[in-house]
Amino acid sequence: MVKAAITTPAATNPFIPFPFVVMSRRRETRDTVTLRLRPLRNVRLLAQPGQFMMLSVIGVGEVPISVSGLPRRPGELEHTIRAVGSVTRHLVALRPGDYIGVRGPFGTSWPLQLAHGQDVLLIAGGLGFAPLRSALLSILRERWRYRQVIALYGARSPTDLLYRRDLSRWQQRPDLVLRMTVDHPDQYWRGQVGVVPNLIRQVAAFFEPANTIAMICGPEIMMRFTIRELQKHGVPDEHIFLSLERNMQCAIGLCGHCQLGPFFLCKDGPVLPYSRLAPFSDIREF
Amino acid sequence: MSDRELEEFLAVHPFTADLDESQRARLAKQARLAHYQPDEYLIQEGRPADAFYLIVQGLVSIELFVPGHGPRPLQTVEGGSAVGWSWMLAPSRWEFDARALERTTAVVFDAERLRALLLEDCCLGLRLVQRLLFLVTERLRAARLQLLDLYGPPRER
Ligand SMILES: Cc1cc2nc3c(=O)[nH]c(=O)nc-3n(C[C@H](O)[C@H](O)[C@H](O)COP(=O)(O)OP(=O)(O)OC[C@H]3O[C@@H](n4cnc5c(N)ncnc54)[C@H](O)[C@@H]3O)c2cc1C
Repeated sequence: MVKAAITTPAATNPFIPFPFVVMSRRRETRDTVTLRLRPLRNVRLLAQPGQFMMLSVIGVGEVPISVSGLPRRPGELEHTIRAVGSVTRHLVALRPGDYIGVRGPFGTSWPLQLAHGQDVLLIAGGLGFAPLRSALLSILRERWRYRQVIALYGARSPTDLLYRRDLSRWQQRPDLVLRMTVDHPDQYWRGQVGVVPNLIRQVAAFFEPANTIAMICGPEIMMRFTIRELQKHGVPDEHIFLSLERNMQCAIGLCGHCQLGPFFLCKDGPVLPYSRLAPFSDIREF
Repeated sequence: MSDRELEEFLAVHPFTADLDESQRARLAKQARLAHYQPDEYLIQEGRPADAFYLIVQGLVSIELFVPGHGPRPLQTVEGGSAVGWSWMLAPSRWEFDARALERTTAVVFDAERLRALLLEDCCLGLRLVQRLLFLVTERLRAARLQLLDLYGPPRER
């Protein structure tokens, strides 16, 4: 039997999207869903946690979206999308069986190999949990490679928490320290209320700052305050990695939409160590 | 609970850990250990601000009671932090409630005796006031960030 050739993006034009079909759709919150996608052709767009794909809806447009899960079968993709504008609203409305265009993967990934043998601190705010979820799933799959694994997650309110089924499973794991907080609790919430940087002090006993790799994703102000807190605890700048999810367009470092200092965030990022960004941190846009 | 045991709590609590041993010993003399069950109040709005709480273990909600809605939590405070600064500005009353969300243990200082001690030992006084200022700054920063509604949809922010 002749096996169909597997197409990889290296062999193709990065501007041409591949057709994918929506396999499942899970509602996370009022405005956010997680889609599982399968390629229609025999393509493998192998994305690493932290990287993003360009998802397109014909006649509407194309947007960068991080991978939020690990493929259950080769070639599958998982994305968590929040409806904020025209393209994302269409993506969120897709149903199983609908088609979608995908190109990628693009950008840098979380430094999972660098974190081998280290304590790992994943810090997510809001939708920033999407790219960190794929990192956390990958870490938990090879849990023995890491020392302490700590995940901190802040959301607007209890109903805005993503991945609730994962969260309750992860809370039972003895090999994961998970802390959550919300800004605006409802009457049923019995957990923490306040901002994510406050959680760092609470878990300080679990990590050794010099041997910790921190990965942060969330609104930029939240990341700024989180970095300061990590610095106070002695985590070196070169161990602090951020995902900067700026508005971008071409995804291959041509158009300049996502430029920050000398970086084109679509190709030099979105994941960058703070030590490289620090010289530009006086740019008001950061 | 003996003074010695209280000193041991103060030796590991972040608020007092780096004070001199003699300063901690003096503080321990003004303190007692207290336990709170879930939903028990440490502090109630409007009552005299007569104590200072170092939370050893547990979770405490700082909140306001809104008629028709019940308690509205604003921030939570966990083991290793402190609750209440109104006692410094005597005579004063609590402006918020503080309610245990979990079983909570706290080292509780009598405000009047603590104020007297801090006036008598100005060096200890200054060190505690600096720590309280740090606490107030931290809570203010957190409250300001919460106000920004950082995680809201882009257009609503
Ligand atoms: C590397 C990267 C990874 C991303 N990953 C995800 C993801 O996993 N899930 C997800 O839902 N979104 C993600 N985004 C954001 C997503 O790309 C934007 O929400 C999308 O482009 C908005 O397009 P639209 O046509 O729906 O809205 P538009 O009509 O273009 O914009 C609607 C509103 O959203 C604001 N906006 C647009 N893009 C961004 C952005 N990047 N950051 C903040 N505000 C923005 C606009 O200023 C406007 O106010 C990511 C962005 C980047 C750059």
